[in-house]
Amino acid sequence: MSDPGRDDPATPSRNGWVGWLEKRLNLTEIFSFLTHFGLVYAPVDTTRPVREVVRELGNQPVPSYTRGPRVLGLLAAILFALQGITGVLLAYYYRPTPEAAFESTRTIVRDLPAGWFIHQMHHWGAYLLVAIVALRLIRFFWDGLYRAPREVLWWSAVIMAWLVVQLDFTGRLLVWDSRSYWSTVRGLEVVWAVPIVGPVLAFFLGGRVVNEDVLIRFYVLHLLVLPALYLAFLYFTFATLRRVGLSTAGATPAGPTTTFRRHLYSMLILSVLVFAVIVTLAMLLPFRFLGAADPYATPHGIRPPWYMLAPYALLQKSSMPAWLSGAGLLAAGLGLLLLPLWTRREQGWTSPQRMRLWGVIALGIWVALSAAGLLIDRLQVPR
Amino acid sequence: MQEPSERTQSAPPSDDSRRRFLSWLSRSFLGLWALGAAGVVGVYLKAPEKREHVAERLARVGPLGEFPVGEARLVRHGITPFYVVRLDATRLTAVSAVCTHVRCILGFDRERRALVCPCHDGRFDLAGNVLSGPPPRPLPTYEVTVRAGDVFVHLS
Amino acid sequence: MRTVPRAWWCLAPLVAAPLAAVLLAPALTAAQPRAIPQPATAPAAASAAAGRCGVCHPAERVLFDKSGHAQEAVHCTSCHGGNDRSVDLAVAHGAGFRGRPSRRDIPGLCASCHSNEDRMRAYNLPVDQYALYQTSGHGRRLAKGDLSVAVCSDCHGAHDILPPSDPASRVFELNIPKTCGTCHGDSATMKARNRPDVFRQYMSSIHAHQLFDQGNRRSPTCVSCHGVHGAAPPAVGDVGKVCGQCHTAERRYFVAGPHRDGLLRAGRSECASCHGDHGIEGARPQRLSTLCAQCHGAGSSQAALGGALWTEYRGAAQEIDKAVALIDRAEAVPIQTEDYRARLEEARTYLREALPAAHSVQRETVEGFTLRARSVSSEIEHEIYAKLGNLRTRKFVLLVFWFYVLVTIVVLRRFRDRGARVK
Repeated sequence: MSDPGRDDPATPSRNGWVGWLEKRLNLTEIFSFLTHFGLVYAPVDTTRPVREVVRELGNQPVPSYTRGPRVLGLLAAILFALQGITGVLLAYYYRPTPEAAFESTRTIVRDLPAGWFIHQMHHWGAYLLVAIVALRLIRFFWDGLYRAPREVLWWSAVIMAWLVVQLDFTGRLLVWDSRSYWSTVRGLEVVWAVPIVGPVLAFFLGGRVVNEDVLIRFYVLHLLVLPALYLAFLYFTFATLRRVGLSTAGATPAGPTTTFRRHLYSMLILSVLVFAVIVTLAMLLPFRFLGAADPYATPHGIRPPWYMLAPYALLQKSSMPAWLSGAGLLAAGLGLLLLPLWTRREQGWTSPQRMRLWGVIALGIWVALSAAGLLIDRLQVPR
Repeated sequence: MQEPSERTQSAPPSDDSRRRFLSWLSRSFLGLWALGAAGVVGVYLKAPEKREHVAERLARVGPLGEFPVGEARLVRHGITPFYVVRLDATRLTAVSAVCTHVRCILGFDRERRALVCPCHDGRFDLAGNVLSGPPPRPLPTYEVTVRAGDVFVHLS
Repeated sequence: MRTVPRAWWCLAPLVAAPLAAVLLAPALTAAQPRAIPQPATAPAAASAAAGRCGVCHPAERVLFDKSGHAQEAVHCTSCHGGNDRSVDLAVAHGAGFRGRPSRRDIPGLCASCHSNEDRMRAYNLPVDQYALYQTSGHGRRLAKGDLSVAVCSDCHGAHDILPPSDPASRVFELNIPKTCGTCHGDSATMKARNRPDVFRQYMSSIHAHQLFDQGNRRSPTCVSCHGVHGAAPPAVGDVGKVCGQCHTAERRYFVAGPHRDGLLRAGRSECASCHGDHGIEGARPQRLSTLCAQCHGAGSSQAALGGALWTEYRGAAQEIDKAVALIDRAEAVPIQTEDYRARLEEARTYLREALPAAHSVQRETVEGFTLRARSVSSEIEHEIYAKLGNLRTRKFVLLVFWFYVLVTIVVLRRFRDRGARVK
């Protein structure tokens, strides 16, 4: 096992500074903070010195989360961390007033050294993050990972996906160029059109007219409120994962296993790859923005954000009466959220195979509605 | 668990040192990531100095007729504000308005024809020399020319 | 009782009169003026003012009815005398008839009303025209007996007098050069008086181009520089003051330079010596290189200074053009460029100011502006070059980066698997 002489906190070890700190601070307790965020899977004994604890943890067997569909959650966490770092860097120079928002963004993108790089990484990271949380949701649905005892997991996943979409929506306005400004205006109209829930959401978002108050509100939501909520739900996710795991119900809980140490290295490799992909996207496909937003001039062909195209088609463009389409949308949303509750029976309409069918149909309807939202605008707007 | 014994059974020293060298090499290679990230973030975070455009080194402050004799006017010129003082009918002088102590903006005392700092009561004469108080250095002065009735100040 | 009238010749008048009328009718009608058919376009507002003069003078009546005078109870008789109630020549041209006023009398005639403040007050018209006219070149010559100079009716018309605000008026702003040009543009008249054809010169000038082609109403016509009723050429020493009324910056710089005293001593006019007086061309800075030699001589230091000023100006203008091309190139990438264009406007303003400054013929003054124009442009160019260069290096850096990433992954895998090996 371990050499008592080496690991005695009273004895200066080869790397003296750890021992020096160990005498003054419970390093293990600080390390155990990481367990809250899922980095470590076993409870940590805070009475033991940290190096011993770490080495022991390293040898523990853990399911391999860096293989197959299980990697999605990990990817989402890595991307979120990346977004946080680049977001903080951007916040050093961004100014959230209508007069200065576009100018400061332009300064970052054009004038500051490496500013374009950080901005592009944030932009592409956002796209990837939205894709990953959506995929994760689909994978949970497909594999039936919403049934008991994984209801909390499902709710966390749904809410985190929704939060990411909100982050995208609020972050998009901050650029304050004409495309994002008007796309937000249209998006807010869609939000407002959802019955009951819509006006409540719009209340938090700041109303209907996009002005300087809304910009500051979006800024605060994007930087503080939504990330904090996301982290809270991340916390829940890990807490529930530790209890219920990700193995498909019924199958043996054996995916490939590895030691924790190897798992960490694999995670590091994955992070490097993800980082490299984002950097490549950032360098090769830069984001182009139009001129500064002008509340009195609407350019042609600006649509609501892509994730709002389906509700847009349903609520604002269909000939159904508003109460019907709104109620339909609300029912769909509630159905998604409360999925675990109305699929408790494993036979009949809610059997796993049938659920997959419903899922495919629902996704198909969503895609069709989004396409309709896209095309209706294109057909109406003379080009 | 098996490390100590493995160590005693280790390969000849050259292998060991080679492995250590490779290990050091790999670690420093990975350390380059940290250096790269620190470099990028550092270069990005360095606050851009509000560069004074070269064109502003020659400031036109107004027609000569607008400077009464014995009065000073504060010109708010970026980070180098200065006073333009009309000494008499034919002479003007321009002197920095930033105190050399802790960078407060000086006030102009007309009776004493001096510049006074409100923070610690440092005093300068109109040539920039320190008369009294904590300022350690004299104020920079700037060349003033009058061309075609306009007053120009050369900051460099 | 007598049944036969006493004398049948009592009936004679009763018979003779109609007979005479019938027989004499042709003769009687012949004695009257021929019945002139009314003009096809009868004046709409047949003013009572014209009285019956128009019966014989229909052309004048038509013109007069269009004029301002017709609306204001000015009658033909006000100027011509006579009687406007009768069409009988003897009566109409009878007592008090002045007929066509002689040219020498016309100014006085017009002044009889137009110098009368009591009359003119209601219309808020000035009453100094006659006094000014008498000081003018035209007025002085008229007093000396030259009857071919302009009098009131030559410019304002005789019967069809319209206010200057009416675009049909001969003294409407845009019509003034043509009105003055009827004499001053008539080559025969001017040659006889040994004067240049200033009308043609003016019409070829930048002032005329601005006024007529560009619609710039601030551009001068003849009266802007010469005065209206007191029109006279400005004295040689006063030309600069006239031009300086509008071209204030140029005058200010000019007065600060050495030319002012020099030209005064030489008895030459300030602005016209280089720019001409009527045929003034638009500013062409390249003239700086050739113009000085015309007075100072080809190899003189002044000619060299002129050349240097032009080189300075041209260099700054080229720098600005280079910056514009670069901005367009950057925009195609795309890079946001509105603020660059705004700064370039600043540079253009400096350059534009260099032209009035050139009137001081002082190098430092002009350089003060051209150097600033240049430095703004070169700053912009510098910044854009940096960004364009940045774009090029990105692809190369990406390749290096991927190489780095692959090596890193290999190293990390070795670290990971080394642990397994040990285990």
